[in-house]
Amino acid sequence: MVKLTAKFILAGDATVGKSTLAQLFRSDGAHFQKNYAMTVGVDIIMKTVHIPETSDSVELLIYDSSGKEIFYEIMEKLWEQPSVLCLVYDVSNEQSFNSCAKWLQRVRARTLCSHLPGVLVGNKTDLVGRRTVEQKQAQEWAAQNDLEYFETSAKEMENFEVPFRSLAKSFHHLYQEKVETIHSVV
Amino acid sequence: MTKVSDVCLSSCGATVVLATSSDEHYPPENILDGKLETFWTTTGTFPQEFIISFNGSARINKLTVQSYLVRNLKIEKSISKDPISFEKCAEKERRESLNCWILLQRKIYLENSEGQLQTEEFMLSGCQATHLRFIIESSYDHFVSIHRVMADGAMDSMSPTA
Ligand SMILES: Nc1nc2c(ncn2[C@@H]2O[C@H](COP(=O)(O)OP(=O)(O)OP(=O)(O)O)[C@@H](O)[C@H]2O)c(=O)[nH]1
Ligand SMILES: [Mg+2]
Repeated sequence: MVKLTAKFILAGDATVGKSTLAQLFRSDGAHFQKNYAMTVGVDIIMKTVHIPETSDSVELLIYDSSGKEIFYEIMEKLWEQPSVLCLVYDVSNEQSFNSCAKWLQRVRARTLCSHLPGVLVGNKTDLVGRRTVEQKQAQEWAAQNDLEYFETSAKEMENFEVPFRSLAKSFHHLYQEKVETIHSVV
Repeated sequence: MTKVSDVCLSSCGATVVLATSSDEHYPPENILDGKLETFWTTTGTFPQEFIISFNGSARINKLTVQSYLVRNLKIEKSISKDPISFEKCAEKERRESLNCWILLQRKIYLENSEGQLQTEEFMLSGCQATHLRFIIESSYDHFVSIHRVMADGAMDSMSPTA
């Protein structure tokens, strides 16, 4: 039995729904934040995820980060040595999708690890008529950048847990791989 | 003073009294069993640390740390009797008399050596310690391992420091 701890960076443009997803996940779907409350700098949210078919767990320290540029200098320091990355954009906001490359590069610059597990999340899929970013386009970009792709609607409580659980699993997998490597080194 | 040997072995009474990570398959005791094949793993975010307590007071000439993927390691020592009050006393003593505590505080950038264990030696010229604290501040990967800490030295009795 092992309990891992992961520094989980949640990044993306302002208002895409990062805090909403994090709060929903923390409260097991009980809390949907309807009114927008801008995140100031970074909020840290803790949640332990059990890894299926094992007795292991991963404690996620979710760094719910602001999408506003004015906080970037502070956030950059707090992001030091990240474990996993969750990039969020809003499917009805093309600019937020275009910004993902910037956020990805910024977080990757904070690690020396050869691999940083990451996912791309297209949120607000309930806004069907206002969708401007197609699933295929986002999926392709994610694949090119070694990210898993998910779509969510925090409002309809669809899929909101999946990105968190997926990253916890990837981190757990990485640990097992690393232990194997260490055995092969000695 | 007894003869010079590795005093950082569980068979000599050394113990790990604190470790910030613990996987039951790779416990911190593996650092002191004298074997390179067994190790302690860190299981998450940095910094990570462990404290080794000697069975009394040791005079250490050289410390050798064998690890994997550690980037920045800081070592501190204490000559206090009680390992539980380690931090509190350190803060207190640090203000009152610097030479009593934290005689040794090093920040060492270790070489990245993917694919092989790192062996780092620290010359301490007979410094006295009852506890050693190792702080892994940063790493080259998400997880690192510590295989062995060796301390060339000898055990004293708890002699009063002048
Ligand atoms: N329709 C719809 N609205 C959503 C969804 N998720 C979040 N919202 C709304 O979007 C607004 C912004 O959400 P936040 O979670 O605060 O956005 P954020 O990404 O944390 O923004 P910053 O903290 O400023 O970076 C809120 O009014 C939410 O209710 C969704 O899936 N569908
Ligand atoms: Mg927010």
